Amino acid sequence: MGHKNAVLGRVAPAIRIWGRPLEAFSQPFNWFVIALAGILAFLALYPSVFLFYGSLVDSPLGVPGRFTLKNYADAFLDLEAYRLMLTSFIFGIGASGLSVIFALILAWITIRTNAPFRRLFELTAIIPNIIPPILIAISWVLLLNPSNGLLNVLLMSIFGLAKAPFNIYSIPGLIFAEGLILTPLAFLIIAAALKSMDPALEESAKTLGSGELGVATRITFPLMRPAILAAWTLNFVRAVESFDTPAIIALPARIDVFTTKIWREALGSFPANHNLAAAYGVGLLGIALIFVYLYRRFTSQVESFSTVTGKGFRPHQIDLGPWRYSASAVALLLLIMMVVLPFIILILTSILPYYHVPTWETWQTLTPKHYSYIFQNGRVYRAFGNSLFLATVGATLCMFLASLTAYVTVKTKIKARGILEGLVFIPWAFPGTALALGLLWAYVDFPIPIYATIWILMIAYVTRFIPYGLRAVTSTIIQIHKELEEASVSCGAGFFATFRRIVFPLMRPGLMAG
Amino acid sequence: MLRSLRIFLPFFAIALLASGLALGQDAKLIEAAKKEGGKAVAYGSLETETYEPVAKAFEKKTGLKVEYWRGSATKVMDRALSEYRAGRPIFDLIITNRNPMDLMKDAGIFIRYESASWKAFTPDVIDAFFGPAYRYNVFGMLYNTKLIKPVDAPKSFEDLLKPQYKGKIVVSDPTQHTTFVQWLANLHKIMGKEKADKLIHGLAATKPLMVESFLPAARRATTGETPIAMGFLKWVYMFAQREGAPLDYIREPIHLGEGHFIALGSKAPNPSTAKAFVDFFLGQEGMKIIAEEGEFVPLKGLVPKVPGSDKWKVVMMDELSSGELKKKRDEYKKIFFGS
Repeated sequence: MGHKNAVLGRVAPAIRIWGRPLEAFSQPFNWFVIALAGILAFLALYPSVFLFYGSLVDSPLGVPGRFTLKNYADAFLDLEAYRLMLTSFIFGIGASGLSVIFALILAWITIRTNAPFRRLFELTAIIPNIIPPILIAISWVLLLNPSNGLLNVLLMSIFGLAKAPFNIYSIPGLIFAEGLILTPLAFLIIAAALKSMDPALEESAKTLGSGELGVATRITFPLMRPAILAAWTLNFVRAVESFDTPAIIALPARIDVFTTKIWREALGSFPANHNLAAAYGVGLLGIALIFVYLYRRFTSQVESFSTVTGKGFRPHQIDLGPWRYSASAVALLLLIMMVVLPFIILILTSILPYYHVPTWETWQTLTPKHYSYIFQNGRVYRAFGNSLFLATVGATLCMFLASLTAYVTVKTKIKARGILEGLVFIPWAFPGTALALGLLWAYVDFPIPIYATIWILMIAYVTRFIPYGLRAVTSTIIQIHKELEEASVSCGAGFFATFRRIVFPLMRPGLMAG
Repeated sequence: MLRSLRIFLPFFAIALLASGLALGQDAKLIEAAKKEGGKAVAYGSLETETYEPVAKAFEKKTGLKVEYWRGSATKVMDRALSEYRAGRPIFDLIITNRNPMDLMKDAGIFIRYESASWKAFTPDVIDAFFGPAYRYNVFGMLYNTKLIKPVDAPKSFEDLLKPQYKGKIVVSDPTQHTTFVQWLANLHKIMGKEKADKLIHGLAATKPLMVESFLPAARRATTGETPIAMGFLKWVYMFAQREGAPLDYIREPIHLGEGHFIALGSKAPNPSTAKAFVDFFLGQEGMKIIAEEGEFVPLKGLVPKVPGSDKWKVVMMDELSSGELKKKRDEYKKIFFGS
């Protein structure tokens, strides 16, 4: 008996220790988290591992190589890399800051005021999301180049100026163009958060005698901090890793940024040096991960931002009085810059045989031939169909995974939730071309033959855009108070029922934004 | 007369037999191609607008399809090498310029295919491995005729160094664009080393606008943003005569050019379809379509459509190895950017 007790005495603590994980595995919710983590880990780590591998060997894909640190030495012992990183940072801070300012003004006017035509403005603000950034950059070159930019020519003609007042080929020009390109995404994130806000706190402030400006500066904007920081962080990384705008605008200005260096030294070199590009990509990953950490620190106070409760509400609307027309004018000006001017230039270019500054003779040369080419070209239909399929299915898959991830990272106390969020952000942190490289290496000889099919694109898009979806939905879910879920659980609903019937509907603004 | 006929009859019969054999060979190839699935894949840097009429005509004639993926020469080479090395090449054909073709050949990507269509070309344009170049890209300086009147137009490359053209020139960035580096490095072949060096340094001193490649440069000339641009002379036909853009070129007597080739993949999944396409592409019909699109095609009887091209003398550029290219890039970076 004594022996048995001694054995049990030794075994019992072991059972208690090992029993915890065993007990954990019996919970369906934990299986769900493990499955989600598995999917995210595969999407994020599989190409990342290949990218790391590529940065540490001396041979290209498909050729056995030897371990080397030469790629890192070439990338980061070059002093020019740091100078260009600084330029990229200035560019990134400027462009993301400008985009957040524009987005905040636009979102506040369209969601929180009684400015006329605000619904139209709200819809118009997201249109630029479907235009490739390179086209917007080209539009602004055609509008603001110092030689014959259309806006410059008009201003010189109206005001009798000898020289063009604006020059897109400059750092301010670069920041301006990229800022406009980034504004729609920032608008989506900030507008979703503004819509989800319970007006109770603002109404309390007004009751206590605060004016509208006081309410905005002391209640609304502080509560918006997670969304503002999310938008800024996201757009900063997008700006730093962008290549299209710098290639179109910075290059003629002889301004080099980090991504143009990566192109020149690695991807555009002859032959391309993917190993060096991978080393650069890993460097950019390190910078982006710092921002992920900072973002998590900024938004760690979840409870203090909870404003969406079980009560029905409408967002607090401010009566601007006669100032509402000025507010509409400001919103209109922003939308003219973001949407109208680029569209006008694109439409004009599409009906001219070749682009030139329009004169009276131009009207005689207008032609529909470019549209005829599109409508008669089977490849265009196929490309459009592929894009529609990828956008619809990809966005749905993205937001599905993003909503589940957001719930786990924001609403649970699971210890590994930080790892989950980190997994999502790893692909986001890579420059697009470096991620594409990792995906190429990862999937070109994957056992399931998805290389050169639409499915590799689907995987690429989901991998790339989950972070955006996560940011959009996290800004919303942060504001959902836990009392709603607690009420659901008290009434006997399990996790999945609570998620489906309570949390998911309340996340709708963030889901649609994503 | 009857005796003359009897003498020529065997030769006639041989010719008939040969053409019959050729036709028979074509038919056999097409039969084999249809058994493969009737589809092949080509990667190339040939512009889609030029490729598509050829592919359509080929499909109409044979019922076979060749899907095309278009990229810059560097991207084409990059993709082909990556797939080949990974053991998953899905391309059957590569269509691009000489430099990357040589690199890919050294990697074992190609297999030599001697098409019957080679016979129509003169020996001087036929490479022992790749066969004839299907086109030559000829380089020069284009200018906007609305902004620069003919009387004020530069008559030679050296004229570009005159003060009136300062700030009016756009070129590709020599630290990024391989072919522009090659052009600069080969200028001595058409004007001697001293004049070439003077031109390069003088051009850099005018602080030209830099863009990614030749096409954005040429487009800035057609839009009028920067009236003088370095580019392909074929655009004088393609943009000016087809689109109405006000474009002409500096009428130098000698220009530098570069050959472009088509080659069969050594692990082509659809070799018969690919071979049938090569036969058509390099044949009279294919070459005629390409010439009609404005390309400089080295086949007798097909004259380029660029005005004055009948007076051109074209000197082929020497290819640069990747080491030489890097050295030249660094050199031109110092000249054009001062660092």
